[in-house]
Amino acid sequence: MLRNRRSELLAAFVLILPFVVIYGWMFVYPTIQMVRLSFTDAPLIGEGKYVGFKNYVRMFKDPVFRKAVWNTAYFVALTVVPGTAVALLIALMVSRLKGWLQSVILAAFFLPYILPVTVVYVIWDWMTNVQFGMLQGAIEWVAGRPVNVWRTIPWFMPGVAVITIWWTNGFSILLFLAGLRNIPAELYEAAQLDGATRWQMFTRVTWPLIWPVTVLCLTIQLILQLKIFDQVYLFAVGGRTQATMVLVQYIYEQAFQKNAGGYSATIALALFVIVVTFSVLQFQILRIRGQR
Amino acid sequence: MKRLLGASAVLALAISMAEAKETVVWWDFLGGGDGVRMKTLIEEFNKEHADTIEIQATTLDWGVPFYSKVQATAAVGEGPDMMTYHASRIPLAVSQGTLAEITPEDMAAMGLSAANFAPATWDAVQVDGKQYAVPFDTHPIVLYYNKDLLEKSGLIGADGLPAGLDGLDNFNAALKKLKDDGNEWGIVQVTADGGFAFRTIYSLLCQQNGEIGTDGNWFPGDSQEKLANAVGVISNWVAEGYNPSYTDYPSTVALFTSGKSPFMINGVWEVPTMDDLNKQGKLFNWGAIELPVLFDRPCTYADSHAFAIPANAGKEVSPEKHAAVLEVIKWMEANSLFWATAGHIPANVAVTETAEYKAMQPQATYAKLTANSVFDPKSVNAGVASPLFDAAGNAFTAAINGETDPATAVAEMKAALDALQQ
Repeated sequence: MLRNRRSELLAAFVLILPFVVIYGWMFVYPTIQMVRLSFTDAPLIGEGKYVGFKNYVRMFKDPVFRKAVWNTAYFVALTVVPGTAVALLIALMVSRLKGWLQSVILAAFFLPYILPVTVVYVIWDWMTNVQFGMLQGAIEWVAGRPVNVWRTIPWFMPGVAVITIWWTNGFSILLFLAGLRNIPAELYEAAQLDGATRWQMFTRVTWPLIWPVTVLCLTIQLILQLKIFDQVYLFAVGGRTQATMVLVQYIYEQAFQKNAGGYSATIALALFVIVVTFSVLQFQILRIRGQR
Repeated sequence: MKRLLGASAVLALAISMAEAKETVVWWDFLGGGDGVRMKTLIEEFNKEHADTIEIQATTLDWGVPFYSKVQATAAVGEGPDMMTYHASRIPLAVSQGTLAEITPEDMAAMGLSAANFAPATWDAVQVDGKQYAVPFDTHPIVLYYNKDLLEKSGLIGADGLPAGLDGLDNFNAALKKLKDDGNEWGIVQVTADGGFAFRTIYSLLCQQNGEIGTDGNWFPGDSQEKLANAVGVISNWVAEGYNPSYTDYPSTVALFTSGKSPFMINGVWEVPTMDDLNKQGKLFNWGAIELPVLFDRPCTYADSHAFAIPANAGKEVSPEKHAAVLEVIKWMEANSLFWATAGHIPANVAVTETAEYKAMQPQATYAKLTANSVFDPKSVNAGVASPLFDAAGNAFTAAINGETDPATAVAEMKAALDALQQ
């Protein structure tokens, strides 16, 4: 018995070894390096000298860092819950369709998800172009004049949020659809026999049963959107990068453009802490609510 | 079996021939019309050196990605054998130890010296008395014009060139006239990107004898006021409706080529676009001239595409390879007349003095501005896609579109630059 367990342990160890090695090499080691780097004045490449907490002091006094935290939080607020709600709505509608029609509509919603971010950028940049954009008619109707969405600060974040939801929604819709398909039809039949209304069926049957999927969607979205970079970078390039700065972009700018590897690592560590804290917190809170 | 032997013999022969031939790994960032022309030059070189040298060229993404990649690869000895480089980025590269020095012996081996280049262009590739690149061209901004529309408004002189544009008042009067004569705009330039507009603004700052200064001493003397003046010129054009607001790069070119604006301020690199449209019969009579003197003296922003050799850490370059790289640069310099079709002004003075170049229009018309060009200040924070450009983008996008006033924008830019010295 004892020998048996030992060989099992050995097998287990051999099986997880590749993962542990890669995890340690690709994640744990860089993370330790990042922490170490944040106490130096290192450039992008090469060693720097130890400067203690100087980078941290600078970070807490840095107005651009504060702006980046604010913009990132604002973007998360604009996308995570609204995006998930829209996805659920679309999934509920698509699940009512049958056969090829369902496939076609689902494909239409999923297609943007497969586009690379640069293509998304080019499409929307042209659609919103201040001289030639198709959407300027609608924008003029709302604002009373043509607006350069990507250079007008109040328009920028909501603009990027709408595009991001349009772009990334397909994945959440698929998750919700899978969740909805897992709900046994008998439950609805039973509810119907008991005379439940459609709203009661949603709140008493559908909603509790897809709550785990919702938690998953929200968590994935939260982590993804805290790390927002590509869209903001592309739409703001050459323009007002400081007013529209988000955290990952600030890390990139400090490291690659300003050659400040140490300070960049400090901001990266701040983002790391924020992502870990919020995703763990959110997942736990939502899970507890679900178990109630 | 026999066939196999034969095949391996051919293979062995091919390998031994390949070994005799030097390969030069080349990186550039020329993705536009100039990239097509550069590829022609490279093909031509490879054809002429079929037995001795082969350039293996790769085109990478312009700007920060290119420079980060060069820095990262050179640091671990994996950089190319040679590459194109913006002169304005050389001070930063030298501070990072990315570039190998071009020695006087190298220059002698190529048969080149300071006398072959315009003084400002030559100076731009030197740091602390050492040379780090060989200039290939000078690429300033110029004033493109629609001759048909200017003629209608009586703004073409007896020499066939735009007239009556010197001095700010005259220039503004000309823009007003063009607008009154029914043109949608008077002038178009990139206004959605203050970093791009900075090229015009810097020219106008220099025209007032103002300076950007350098690290720790940005905008010395009364340069801050002069810079605000320069910003004011453009924000005034936007406010008066002469120049469209928040206009991005592609729209700028589209507004000019579709005849909606008789003037465009843009880099010489748009010359191929005009040339190609013209050949297809899709363009009006057009030309390009040096920026008019709106203030005290002629002065235009310029940068230079140069050839540089990365300091590949821990990788010794064989004398043969080094000689091959020098041969490539020498050949490119000697054959840069074709590069002029990309709009750029060849850096090699001997080329711009040939009869062929002097017959090339509009290149020959604006070539004289190399005598009046101003480059970025020598700072690790200046150059294309640098913190200086970034600060300009943040401050001037708001100012030229009327969201803040020029003086505030300039103060904001100075504060951003001063913060770099922390």
